[in-house]
Amino acid sequence: MPTKPMLFTAKNLALSFTTGDQEVQAVRSCNVTVPEHAITVIFGASGSGKSSLLNVVSGLQKPTSGSLLYRGVDVYEQSLNELAYFRAHELGIVYQTNYWVKSLTVLDNVAMPLYFQGQSQAEAHRRAHEALSAVNMGQFATKYPALLSGGEQQRVAVARAIVADPPVIIADEPTGSLDSTNGDAIIALLQKLRDDHGKTIVLVTHNMEYLHIANHLLEVQDGTVTQIEEAQIPRTVKKMLGDAQTRITKLMEEHTT
Amino acid sequence: MMKRRTIKDRPTVQPRVLAMIAYRNLLQKRLRTLLTVSGIAIGIGSVYFLLSFGIGLQRLVANQVIGNQSIRTIDVKPTNSSIIKLDDIAVQRISEVPDVKEIGKIYYFPGSFKLNNSETDSIVYGIDKGYEQLTYLNLIKGELLKDTAVKNPIVMNKAALEAIGLGKDPSIVIGKSIDITVPLPKIQSQSKVYQRSMQIVGVIDSGSGAEIFIPSTEFRQLGVPALTQLKVGVDSVETVSKARAQIESIGLETSSPVDTLNEINKVFNYLNLILIGFGGIGMLIAILGMFNTLTISLLERTKEIGLMVALGARSVDMKRLFIFEALFLSLVGATLGIVGAVGLGWLINIVMNMLAAGRGVKDGFQLFAHPYQLVFGVIGFMVIVGLLVVVLPARRAQKISPIDALRRE
Repeated sequence: MPTKPMLFTAKNLALSFTTGDQEVQAVRSCNVTVPEHAITVIFGASGSGKSSLLNVVSGLQKPTSGSLLYRGVDVYEQSLNELAYFRAHELGIVYQTNYWVKSLTVLDNVAMPLYFQGQSQAEAHRRAHEALSAVNMGQFATKYPALLSGGEQQRVAVARAIVADPPVIIADEPTGSLDSTNGDAIIALLQKLRDDHGKTIVLVTHNMEYLHIANHLLEVQDGTVTQIEEAQIPRTVKKMLGDAQTRITKLMEEHTT
Repeated sequence: MMKRRTIKDRPTVQPRVLAMIAYRNLLQKRLRTLLTVSGIAIGIGSVYFLLSFGIGLQRLVANQVIGNQSIRTIDVKPTNSSIIKLDDIAVQRISEVPDVKEIGKIYYFPGSFKLNNSETDSIVYGIDKGYEQLTYLNLIKGELLKDTAVKNPIVMNKAALEAIGLGKDPSIVIGKSIDITVPLPKIQSQSKVYQRSMQIVGVIDSGSGAEIFIPSTEFRQLGVPALTQLKVGVDSVETVSKARAQIESIGLETSSPVDTLNEINKVFNYLNLILIGFGGIGMLIAILGMFNTLTISLLERTKEIGLMVALGARSVDMKRLFIFEALFLSLVGATLGIVGAVGLGWLINIVMNMLAAGRGVKDGFQLFAHPYQLVFGVIGFMVIVGLLVVVLPARRAQKISPIDALRRE
């Protein structure tokens, strides 16, 4: 199987915070990659450091040490305006919690990344309509997002992420607040974006159900990032599921005795 | 490789889009926006209303004081100690001064007149056509000296008629004969008294004391050596001071309605400052309200701003967003305030005119003035104030960290 070109490359990348007197190693020094046109899943328990890693990848959080390259360019060597340009043109983001500009309609919320590219309202609206139609949410264009259900809001969030046609879609626990039907629908949308549009997907999740869609896996445990190549994923997933099953069985035994 | 772009070629959010987002946000908090705009409207409206009243009053007073005098004129008199008299030579020299267009000649002496067996003291003016052209004499009956064909004509003011109890109906004196007596200054060491019977041709409404006007030739033929005063008309108000300096260099004394006007303006400038002070209190409250609205708006929308930055907005765009909101509040508030103040002024003016008419004032008047400089000045002032008020919230909006903002609950 041919090797996919790398879109992101982290070199000795580490991120730490100081809270009070304590220094917290959110991401320990790691050398990992994100291949292009593939789904990279960042997997780990809550508080393991996956969101911190994602913030670095999103161009929002400068690492404490090391570097993050995007197509060979050091992301954090750029000015703040260049970083804004990077986010507006290269990334589409879907969050676990739906964030909206509440005074704007679904259409204007979806059009926002285009506004930040400097596009006119008319052009941005035209493309936002297309993006909404792509996620079957065209009929909600004039509604206000806060009035939609969780599943509908998450679909609109996907429309906002794809409206500017960025090469990378970052999804931070996009199914976290959804039931399984809506969660599966969002995952299916992300797969479609990879398969039909060649997008690079970076999916953060703690849900093992979705590990099978990964082409590339970054497992995060207490800030330590382990990179698992595609060929190794089935075995790793099997082991994780086995471990989880063992834990569940043990818990059930404890409960019945 | 990712194409790198510099700040210069990076497109920013289009102003129309920013205006739309700002407008929608303000509209979302309708009550708060309405209260803030109302505060600004009241503040700016009270400043405008008081200034408009101050300027209106200033114009009204100036109009009453300057009255029939054109501010393009200069009054010329001999100085008390001067040996220069207002004779033909002086008139000739003044006429040669550049910018001087016209000269009106005046004699005036204390005298008396007798009409219908009533006699009263009066100032007797001997005037020529030049004077009549340079001075607005408010003719209420008959005609002026320059327009009449009557021999030995005389024009008198309403106050002179009132002095002899004929003020109620000025028309009855037109064509009547009047006897004038004027003791003249010594001519070639001889005292002379001017006495003549003349015919009334017109009545004017100007001056508060009794005044009568006869042709200046009457005094000149008697050999009165020098004029009492000259009224000199110049090209424009701007040339008054230059022409005055040149006339004074001849050795004569000058005065001008511009002096009075300057004095009036000085007094009213102080008055306007006091009025601005009163209006400023309302203005200050409005400014605090606006600052409060923008600051609360910033705190409420920290997460939204964080989201927009995460989606690719430049932090300067967030600053511009708040500037747009402040401009919107300022412009709408200022416009409504001015419209309200103009309306209120219009209403008060109608009531005052009605009250004045009830007390016998015939001429209508304008208590409020709305020069365009005032309208645009007040709007411009509010825009500047709005931009100053938004500095702090806008700077804070610019510094919001998207990670911290999105983490907030």
